Amino acid sequence: MDLYLPIAEVSVNAPLLVALGAAVGFISGLFGIGGGFLMTPILVFLGIPPVVAVASEANHVAASSTSSVISYTRRKAVDFRMGGVLAAGGAVGSFLGVEVFRWLRLLGQADLVVSLSYLVFLGVIGALMLWESLGSILRRRRGGGAGPRRDRRPPWLYGLPLKMRFPRSRLYISVIPPVLLGVFVGVLSAIMGVGGGFILVPAMVYVLRMPAGVVVGTSLFQIIITTSLTSVLQAGRNQTVDVVLATLLLIGGVLGAQVGARASSRFRAEELRALLAIIVLAVGLRMGLGLFFTPDEPFVLMAGNG
Amino acid sequence: MVDALPPPTPSQAPAAAVSAALTTTSVKVTSSFRGARIVLYGAVFDPAARPSDVVVIVRGPDAPLRIARKTKVAGIWVNSRPVVFEGAPGFYMTASTRPLDQIAGFGPLRRLGAGIDHLAINAPFEQRVETRYGVRDVVVSRLGADYLDWRRAVVRLKQNAGLYAADDRGVTFVDRGLFKAEIDLPTAAPIGVYTAEIILFQDGHPVSRRLRGLTVEKVGVERALYLFAHQRPWSYGLASVVIALAAGWAASVAFRRN
Repeated sequence: MDLYLPIAEVSVNAPLLVALGAAVGFISGLFGIGGGFLMTPILVFLGIPPVVAVASEANHVAASSTSSVISYTRRKAVDFRMGGVLAAGGAVGSFLGVEVFRWLRLLGQADLVVSLSYLVFLGVIGALMLWESLGSILRRRRGGGAGPRRDRRPPWLYGLPLKMRFPRSRLYISVIPPVLLGVFVGVLSAIMGVGGGFILVPAMVYVLRMPAGVVVGTSLFQIIITTSLTSVLQAGRNQTVDVVLATLLLIGGVLGAQVGARASSRFRAEELRALLAIIVLAVGLRMGLGLFFTPDEPFVLMAGNG
Repeated sequence: MVDALPPPTPSQAPAAAVSAALTTTSVKVTSSFRGARIVLYGAVFDPAARPSDVVVIVRGPDAPLRIARKTKVAGIWVNSRPVVFEGAPGFYMTASTRPLDQIAGFGPLRRLGAGIDHLAINAPFEQRVETRYGVRDVVVSRLGADYLDWRRAVVRLKQNAGLYAADDRGVTFVDRGLFKAEIDLPTAAPIGVYTAEIILFQDGHPVSRRLRGLTVEKVGVERALYLFAHQRPWSYGLASVVIALAAGWAASVAFRRN
């Protein structure tokens, strides 16, 4: 059953999009991420204009994250204060990101920046995550202990001013690192059409040293706020949110996220991380390597108004 | 609407004329839109029954477009500065009884803008007028010798998107003097006012011409959503976010009950 999208102005297969939304939602619930880094490239591959894909996907990420965050809230696995600080940065970041994206479109360089961002961020994070999770799987197989504890917290985290207590994360740190992290993720959210969970989760674990139990829930909470804001800003400034496309995706997405969240308890954390790392790495390489091959068609058409 | 061009060579027989009508004058884009077929019927009135050729040109609304060329910079392929081209219709399709270059020569086709090769597509912002070799008012394009490559690329990319085409068997005579043409609009056809121009050629010259209008418009839900998104963009954005958050919450509540 084909459906014509009013903003994207292309015709898509509706059941296919619902199924894709469900599949990405499942992955999202399983790993506690938004899933935008998977969905945006798929939409572009299906022929949706990239600007519409990026903006509508922010909406889909907001929906599937809401679907999974509620169960984390019930388990008290969300640090709302930390999430709020991150989201304050995220708000500034999405505002900047939407403007940067507008400017890049005018320059005709939006595609390049999106591809490079995927290659660099997904490539680096995927590789680091794979290395780390394979390491812990190997340590477990060898029957060694829990491995070297990483309790040494970096001194700069404590030396900065504007300290704040985060009781649920058992932290007393400066708000500057989380705000900057939020800004960074907000910019990426607008440019790449992602929630930024794949950056937030490792950054919370390795930079902010938050307890693993609250990381995923807090990341989802911050993603909801940032992507909701991005979605409103993209609609208001660029008129690129396709509500029909977003609705098709989120019908599958919210259901898939619930199933995924249930399935996640059956796997070991490091095995899940290794699997996620492989997916992240594959998407990053697929998106980025195109930049190095000689294109079949040396010219690209763009809309007249940018 | 009638715009009969005088035959270049006066002859004894009365001038031939062409007449045509579209079977639909408005294409409605609904949620099930998957392109449309436009059917045109017409007749050639010529008491002298001279050999006639009919050319049908369907043009969509003009929209400026930008095109960039990929160049290799430090090992990666990067878009060049985009170049704005004007005069390129959003949709352009010709249908004719024979290939256009067999129907008429370069001059008449160029004057009528008939055929993809004769479209007045240019890059006005890249042009400047200067004096060269003592000749004043020479139009020089900043794109230099590559200019034709750029123009050809515009046409090629539009053709690949199914928006430009030439069907040199697209007009068929179904009966004496009565012809039929079919033109397929792809899903990607732009919204707006289209014109269908029907030209009768005899002996390599345009003899008679008719113009017919056609609109492609969004209707119903598609139109309402499009207008909402463009006229009240902030409310539209808020509404779409509310739908997303409500759906997420509803799914989580529904699954908790199970």
